[in-house]
Amino acid sequence: MNTDKIIIESNSSSFFSIKELLRYKSLLSNLAKRDFLVRYKQAFAGIAWALFKPLISILVFGYISAKITNSGNSAQSFLFVASAMLLWQLFSNVFNDVSNSIVTNANLFSKVYFPKIIIPISTILVCLVDFLISLIILIVLFIISGQTVHWQIVLAPLFIILTLINGFGIGLYFATINVKYRDVKFIVPVILQFGMYVTPVILPSSYYLERIPEWLHWLFCLNPMVGAIEGFKYCLFGVNSINDITYFTMSILVSFIFLIIGIKYFYKFERNFVDYI
Amino acid sequence: MSNSTVIKVEGLSKQYLLNKQAMKKSDTLYGNFIQNLKNIKNLAKRKELTEFWALKDVSFEINQGDRVGIIGRNGAGKSTLLKILSRITPPTHGRIEYSGRMASLLEVGTGFHGDLSGRENIYLNGSILGMSKHEIDRKFDEIVAFSEIETFIDTPVKRYSSGMYVRLAFAVAAHLEPEILIVDEVLAVGDAAFQKKCMGKMEDVSQNHGRTILFVSHQMAAVQNLCNKGIYLKNGQLVEQGLIEQVIPTYLKSGAQSNLQSFEHRTDRTGSGKVKFESFRLLNSQNQEIDHAQSGSDFYIELTINADEEVSNFVASMGIDDDFGTRITHLSNDTTNQINPILPKGKSKVLFKINKLPLSSGIYTFTLFSSSGSEVLDWLQDAGKIDVESGDYYQTGKIAPEGQGKIYLDYSVSIL
Repeated sequence: MNTDKIIIESNSSSFFSIKELLRYKSLLSNLAKRDFLVRYKQAFAGIAWALFKPLISILVFGYISAKITNSGNSAQSFLFVASAMLLWQLFSNVFNDVSNSIVTNANLFSKVYFPKIIIPISTILVCLVDFLISLIILIVLFIISGQTVHWQIVLAPLFIILTLINGFGIGLYFATINVKYRDVKFIVPVILQFGMYVTPVILPSSYYLERIPEWLHWLFCLNPMVGAIEGFKYCLFGVNSINDITYFTMSILVSFIFLIIGIKYFYKFERNFVDYI
Repeated sequence: MSNSTVIKVEGLSKQYLLNKQAMKKSDTLYGNFIQNLKNIKNLAKRKELTEFWALKDVSFEINQGDRVGIIGRNGAGKSTLLKILSRITPPTHGRIEYSGRMASLLEVGTGFHGDLSGRENIYLNGSILGMSKHEIDRKFDEIVAFSEIETFIDTPVKRYSSGMYVRLAFAVAAHLEPEILIVDEVLAVGDAAFQKKCMGKMEDVSQNHGRTILFVSHQMAAVQNLCNKGIYLKNGQLVEQGLIEQVIPTYLKSGAQSNLQSFEHRTDRTGSGKVKFESFRLLNSQNQEIDHAQSGSDFYIELTINADEEVSNFVASMGIDDDFGTRITHLSNDTTNQINPILPKGKSKVLFKINKLPLSSGIYTFTLFSSSGSEVLDWLQDAGKIDVESGDYYQTGKIAPEGQGKIYLDYSVSIL
């Protein structure tokens, strides 16, 4: 057990520590387990909801996408939308849940000490499980459309992780603001709603890039989800609608900048959360 | 830090900026934006932030195996101190050093989720309190047995009765085995028998395993039973520390300067007004002013009255009500004396002496009444409050269970 000498001072600040995180791993798994168990308790369809929710979006938006792009192969069109939509929903869930996680669990850390970063991390785990279940949709669509699998598919998990990083980084930033200003609860869904339309979820990046003046292309690629979704699609289908690798790299770079900002901001105020919650 | 010192606190202070949190800053971005505009307009007003020191320059050391009771009135800084010690909130100044595994129990059943079963909640709550999975596995059966809810262990806790819920929560907490245990007021809930079981468990842990306990409670009896050392806080400052037998009396005597309570402002009096109640104070058997009475101790209520003229056949009465407004008892010289006295003109004192105060802990209100013959002189409803702490009424070192009635009787039980 922890028998080190502990010193509490007014200005001592904590920072992300894997060692401390490992010490609290049973709390981490129990919190994730709680959120997961509670989510579908007393719901007749239970865990099937993890499938229904994305499925409905995919059906609606896949249809719209097929109409707009005049794609001949509608199964492929659905597959494209499905892959992007699942990743977007993962991002959306992580971002939204992480930004609310600190406030909803205030009753815990205002009574017991533990590294608060555990709360948003456990939130990610829950979102990830939901995502893995919803991957069934993608697998079924793959089979129906007769899409061939490329070697790049082994890289796909990297872009799932990139999506988690995106949601986590931005989410942490908003979670910190949320401690003092509950407006975040309303702002985040608006950002997400708007964000979906400036991200190549329903339509491919090429559709956007063709319609944006060339000198503004960089702006489109500042969106960290552009890199994640395009990368994911590349892994699944071997096609990439962003030809310029610098834009792709830029988007990934933005992801990590957001992550660093999010973590720094979170730890700057973490110790005082209880006084402001 | 010597070997036996486990916690060392130096110059600990905690400041809250009241305006910042309560009034000046709005809870919404928009409100705050507007507020900031206003603040820019009158910059001078920004300085009006009132500082509130919940704790001010508190220093002490705690040795291994000590059971320390932290006492003080509401708002004295007890909970703030525990929160800083348990690393929930940071201090503004000062430093704490401790070694060993610390667990804090500021609430019973932190993180309990109604939709989860008793079993799931044991694991969740245990891990929140700092137990590892292995530790909970090992103690699981013991926890279930302690909580006495074996049959319902797989039922969602929202279906539990409140008693079962609290028992389960306590059971988990009671099986914590940290080197330092911090406990706030949590024993105030739960039924008396179970409370006793928990106290017993805590005492056992402390005495037999040399663990250190920091305990906050308003029940002096519980503090006296469990603790050997005491820390008395008042308005965020440490007033006294030492053996619990010395600290509790200081606390009970506290507030002696300001204890005289005046009725001057009372305009809702009934009666002729020839005689008026002016003020009262509470005294203990050593004639010292107190602000808490203790069950089982002799106790005095001293009234100051002022008579405009001499009154014959003077009667002073007092009705004592409990917190529901139910009349508990009535005291009067009319019933205890054979002949009622003559009250001289001017100021006099009336002393009500209650031997071995037979009231259980709680807040009581008293009403004052005075008369002469059929003439009502002065009648003051809900004149004042008596704050009674639980005490050793039966002088057996045991305390009658909490919530079991308002009065103690002088009785005995024999087996024949």
